[in-house]
Amino acid sequence: MIVGGCDLGSTTGKAAIMIDDKIYCGDIIPATTKPALTANLAMESAIKKAGLNSIDEIEYIIGTGYGRQKVPFASEDISEISCHGKGAYWALQSVRTIIDIGGQDCKAIAISDKGVVTQFEMNERCAAGTGRFFQVMAKVLTCGLEGIGSVSNISDNPVSISNQCSVFAESEVITLINDEKSIPDIITGINQSVAKRVVSLVRRVGIHDDVTLTGGCSKNLGLKKALENLLGTTIKPLPVDPQSIGAIGAAVFAKEKLLAKRAKELEVSSKE
Amino acid sequence: MKSGIKSEVYDKLAGIAGNVSNSEIENWQKQGGKIVGYFCPFIPEEIIIAGGFLPYKIRGTGSSDTSEADEFFDTKNCSFVRHCFNHALLGKFDFLDAMIVGTGCDHTRRIYDNWQVAPLKTKLVYLLDHPRTMGTEGMEETIITYYRAQLAKMKEYLENNFGVEITVPKLRKTIKLCNETRLLQKKLYELRKVENPPITAAEMASVLMAGASMPKEQYNEDLKTLLNDLSSVQGIKKDYQARLMIIGPAIEDPVFYSLFEENGGEIVIDDTCFGARYSMKSFIDEEAEDPLHAIAKYNVSDVPFCPKINGSHKNRIEFIDKMMKEYKVDGIIGQGYVACDPWGSSFGMLSAHMKDAGIPYLRLEREYISTETGQLSTRIQAFIETIGGRK
Repeated sequence: MIVGGCDLGSTTGKAAIMIDDKIYCGDIIPATTKPALTANLAMESAIKKAGLNSIDEIEYIIGTGYGRQKVPFASEDISEISCHGKGAYWALQSVRTIIDIGGQDCKAIAISDKGVVTQFEMNERCAAGTGRFFQVMAKVLTCGLEGIGSVSNISDNPVSISNQCSVFAESEVITLINDEKSIPDIITGINQSVAKRVVSLVRRVGIHDDVTLTGGCSKNLGLKKALENLLGTTIKPLPVDPQSIGAIGAAVFAKEKLLAKRAKELEVSSKE
Repeated sequence: MKSGIKSEVYDKLAGIAGNVSNSEIENWQKQGGKIVGYFCPFIPEEIIIAGGFLPYKIRGTGSSDTSEADEFFDTKNCSFVRHCFNHALLGKFDFLDAMIVGTGCDHTRRIYDNWQVAPLKTKLVYLLDHPRTMGTEGMEETIITYYRAQLAKMKEYLENNFGVEITVPKLRKTIKLCNETRLLQKKLYELRKVENPPITAAEMASVLMAGASMPKEQYNEDLKTLLNDLSSVQGIKKDYQARLMIIGPAIEDPVFYSLFEENGGEIVIDDTCFGARYSMKSFIDEEAEDPLHAIAKYNVSDVPFCPKINGSHKNRIEFIDKMMKEYKVDGIIGQGYVACDPWGSSFGMLSAHMKDAGIPYLRLEREYISTETGQLSTRIQAFIETIGGRK
């Protein structure tokens, strides 16, 4: 059985293919201005990784993410909240709390011991506490996203960033730069400010071990450390790329849907 | 009509709801009738109608911008008041002969403040103070008496400014008229209890909205025709995933309803202004010796309540629980405008209750007119999927 999932996020496109129970993730594709093109590029990469020849070999595909309705080859779409829950549980069955920090959203998702989403919280529209916030800060600090995520940047004397709005926080950081605060102090302050925002979301759904981190920002080690400090627990790493969890979850859903569809067809044909 | 029935009267009512002005209003004015604007369900239409006026609930239908109103309102004021006032500034409510503003919340009250200083054609504007407390033992009669006195002042204001007399027999008559409206609207609500309601939530909202934008006598006749038209209808397909109850301030944006329909959510019952908070209350005592007292009593002590009322949380929960059972509700949506203070604090309490009771609950913060719908749609879809996962 060959199924697939495609996660069209606000900033990147991801695809995963599942052949029997093995997952193949494609490269992370920066979003283009055409959602269908991003989806195609992501899926082509996953097809290559899975050693397939063409998309026609994939029997069922589910679209997810911000552009889920624009995935041209998807049979149906499922919200990224359900897909992150499904994908994280598939990757690590002990997970009960998922923190997904993507390009323009951050979400806290609670799942049951069966991997079913029981509750979720999502940031209100603004970009505070999301990847976009880090992008703005990386530009001001001219250090790139890698610089913000670098462990060597963690300081014991972080500055305090009080503004949650990325536009105002940007001016706040510019002031700090002009006050000649050290870059590691500022970067640690930025990560802590985002972590505080995210943890308030997580508290609403409840902090239940194991906690894991997914989405593009899961690669920011400074943020991960700040989150662990505030949550008072360790964040369990996943055995697969945490940025592709939405696409993986979509592929797992695709398998379930295809199996259910086949069972139904079998039932109908046995009745006839 | 999305539910598929053919009803001329529905098309007429939907047309009235879809525009700020309508031919019913134009005819009323041509015949020399006066129109009094208002909003908030506790401002009694009974008194306005008894004065020979047409009560018109102001709304921001069709508004896409608040730049005119932003000159008068602060950014922390909600989008409901800004869209409505923007319409007023654009002259869309110039057909009003007077405007009555209620003390629903501090945002709506600012419409009164700004109305006095803004260059508007309608000069007569009145502020009606509605009490914000209930449930304090021994205070009930004091609160009713206070509101009765406020209503008497409002009555005098209309009488003095327009040279009319609002008598006891006239009030008795209009109480009966508006009770009939509520009875007919309740019948419409009843139709949504079944698995295949003959009318969708969005369609129902249009019908209710039309009721606050045209003469009541005609509206009641139209409702009777509509109920008759709906009696033989098969109803919508049961292809929805979840039956939802929606709570919060007024929903007057068709796009917001469509987000639920697109994602498999069927809104079957509500607790919103000019939804259940108008129609699902009981009735005003038609035989009361003092009709003003009866109107006051009804508007300060009958559930469901606006959350601005201190001590109303318990009644709200009771109402929700009752409706959940009657309408077989799978999940609750708490929606409110950004910056809505009465609902903002109320939702925290509701959320805690829902968590304890194990009821699926989604809190949505939105604007009065939906523009950016991506995040809302993700939340709604995920919520409905969560309910599906539980089943």
